[in-house]
Amino acid sequence: MTTIDGSSIKKLVVACDAGMGSSVMLAGQLKKQLKKNGVVVEHSPVAQIPKDADVVVTQAGLADRAKGVVPDVPVVPFQLFLGDPKVAKIVKAIQDGTTVEV
Amino acid sequence: MKTLNSTFGLSLQRGNRTMSAFTPTVTGSGPRAAIQRFGAFLAGMIMPNLGAFIAWGLITAITIPNGWINLIARGTGAIAQDATVPFAAQVSTVVGPIIVFLLPILIGYTGGRQVHGQRGAVVGAIATMGAVVAPVALGLVPPFTTGITAPENITGLGPNFLAGLIMGPLAGVVLKAWDRLVDGKLASGFEMLVDNFSAGIIGGAMAIVGIYILGPIINFINGGLGAIVDLLVESRLLPLASIIVEPAKVLFLNNAIGNGVLVPLGVQQAGTSGGTSILFMIESNPGPGLGILTAMLLFGPRAVRPTVPSAMIVHFLGGIHEIYFPYVLMKPILVVAAIVGGAAGVLSFVVLGGGLLAAASPGSIIAYVLVSAPGTLLPNILGVLISAIVAAVVGSLVLGFGRSEKVAMDLDEANATNAANKGRKTAVAGS
Repeated sequence: MTTIDGSSIKKLVVACDAGMGSSVMLAGQLKKQLKKNGVVVEHSPVAQIPKDADVVVTQAGLADRAKGVVPDVPVVPFQLFLGDPKVAKIVKAIQDGTTVEV
Repeated sequence: MKTLNSTFGLSLQRGNRTMSAFTPTVTGSGPRAAIQRFGAFLAGMIMPNLGAFIAWGLITAITIPNGWINLIARGTGAIAQDATVPFAAQVSTVVGPIIVFLLPILIGYTGGRQVHGQRGAVVGAIATMGAVVAPVALGLVPPFTTGITAPENITGLGPNFLAGLIMGPLAGVVLKAWDRLVDGKLASGFEMLVDNFSAGIIGGAMAIVGIYILGPIINFINGGLGAIVDLLVESRLLPLASIIVEPAKVLFLNNAIGNGVLVPLGVQQAGTSGGTSILFMIESNPGPGLGILTAMLLFGPRAVRPTVPSAMIVHFLGGIHEIYFPYVLMKPILVVAAIVGGAAGVLSFVVLGGGLLAAASPGSIIAYVLVSAPGTLLPNILGVLISAIVAAVVGSLVLGFGRSEKVAMDLDEANATNAANKGRKTAVAGS
């Protein structure tokens, strides 16, 4: 369990295997949702997650690799690319500036 | 504590998940992560260049002697049956050079860049060139093939993607080692001279290594791979590939297998002059995923059913297959549906004579239509539909037509929804 402070997040990275397909789709959705909060949302291949990310969102099957790439950044693993409650939780925490356990 | 995490937890990963709550960060060094990493490295050389693959596939489909332009012109009587439209003939001259040179060089360039940035990219491209022309330079005949003579000039060369996949990163590694060696040791003002000439000399040397040492080895491997692929296709054993490919896909090895392995082999098989290959379709077929999502929509856990329709659109039209993997991981038995559906699709492609001109990436039905050859369009669409139907039927079967849902899943939400929908559930189960 990692506790994430939503108000401290300035850069959220969505990672997938190639950084070209599913991560782009999810990043597009999160960008819209987090537009007002001034959070930078980027997508990247899991092997090249930028070190200055504040939080990484990735599919559970890739979470181990993400943790290996950026051991110091909290990684939020989710299951479903559409409508996953964990993604909704982190988005809400950022929007409301509250803390969340993932 | 009952968290949303465990609500949506996978039975496959639950043990691991529980541990990670109490143990330090997972290292990411397990075999699955290692295979994923290597696969991502291979796919990472191919995927950034897919635009070039698609441009090649489209030009090929439209302009080759039996492409769309000439077929339509002949069909409408505008030209004689054995003639070609001048525009098509002129444009089609780029087909050979793109696949023989541009695509392997792009792969080698990208491979070098992955290892050592822009400088690595440049030496990777130079080195790739050596291995690509080796068959002409040395008069090499690919082994395991009969009736083929050594190419006398570049027009006799085949697509040599392995040259890029091997030479690009290798040249990048050599230059990186050199740069590390001299780092901080150069006299001020001589950096540019040393940087440019080290890249030029190492790139040139790697091209020579490509011609004399790795080119012949790659030529030998290409011949062997080609023979294996031909054997699999001719003996109609290709559907068995789904037994490996479909489970690997849902473990997020889809890019590794599809773009890292099958696309290079497919290009090799399709050749330089508008041939088609089924290898492009083994991993990228959107049929099995659509079938699984259909089964999930009808008989999956109630809590996730509302998410399925949009997933179907993203998967089948958008070609992002990752979207259906979580549903299979949620109900691992569904992998049976993926395998049977995938194999049914490949078998249909083999029997009906399907094949794609170039990689369908992403694996969307739209990409399938666009990179089909005129003669393979119908078999391809039929094969996709057959695999979707088979996967949907098998998927519904293994989901017990919704009856085993409550037993198999520990979804609080699902149970709650179930209670609310009791009447409807009975109706479905009884139908």
